[in-house]
Amino acid sequence: MRKLLITVLLVGCAAAQLPAQIRITGLDGLASKAKESVDITLDSTMLQAAGGFLGGNNKEKDAVKLKELLSGLKSISVRSFEFKEDGQYRIEDLDPIRAQLRAPGWSKIVSVTEEKELTEIYMRTDQGKVAGFAIIAAEPKELTVVAIEGAIDLNDLSKLGGLGIPSIPIPNQGKGNDKDRNKKGKEE
Amino acid sequence: MNLDDELRSAMRREDPPLGFTQRVIARAQSKPVQKPAMFRMIWAAGLAAMMVVGFTAASEYRQVKAERAASQAVTALRIAAAKLNMTRDKVLKLEN
Repeated sequence: MRKLLITVLLVGCAAAQLPAQIRITGLDGLASKAKESVDITLDSTMLQAAGGFLGGNNKEKDAVKLKELLSGLKSISVRSFEFKEDGQYRIEDLDPIRAQLRAPGWSKIVSVTEEKELTEIYMRTDQGKVAGFAIIAAEPKELTVVAIEGAIDLNDLSKLGGLGIPSIPIPNQGKGNDKDRNKKGKEE
Repeated sequence: MNLDDELRSAMRREDPPLGFTQRVIARAQSKPVQKPAMFRMIWAAGLAAMMVVGFTAASEYRQVKAERAASQAVTALRIAAAKLNMTRDKVLKLEN
């Protein structure tokens, strides 16, 4: 009985230390107001299946790169809404998500606030490696939240141009420039 | 006729009909009846067909699921990349 209690306590402590997966909540009511909406949630099983499909049927270079990228991921969640008019959502709608991103392990690396626009990039590192990545992009007629769990290299992500993914050169990723970008980008 | 006579009549020994023994021996030596074997074959074929259809459907379902997952993964990464690009442009604009 004592051993069981100790085991339960140890498992509980370990679970408490694990950063919870980011859940994109609080945006459920926006889909009905949106002109277009995207709702994608892929867990590791689905990502594995996707990787298998890409690797199995398409041996092109980009597909192989994409498969490699997916192999390191544990989950992808995307919610994106495009509205006809301004003011269809409140910035406070993002509070539940932003609260999760304030949890230990996550850090805001870029924050740009402009008139009626907010863009934030968060990153979670584990033993010096990127273990999670989140983007919040709030524009007057568009709201997008992306949460990716797992090992991801933003340069790899940016290089996936062959499948319609725009090429995004990110200078000196993870080499200290984030601070500068954050400093200059932050207006909060 | 009283009861004793009725019983005696009913229980009296009778010889089998002519050729009965030969018919029994011939039946015993003949091959098993074809109908049950045919039934088993049809049943086995049906089961095999069902298994093939089941495996094919499961494989097809997995394929469709994987294809949909791949499409969603590409869309998700495309959106992530686009927003990353947009953020980068905003930061560069602020720097300049």
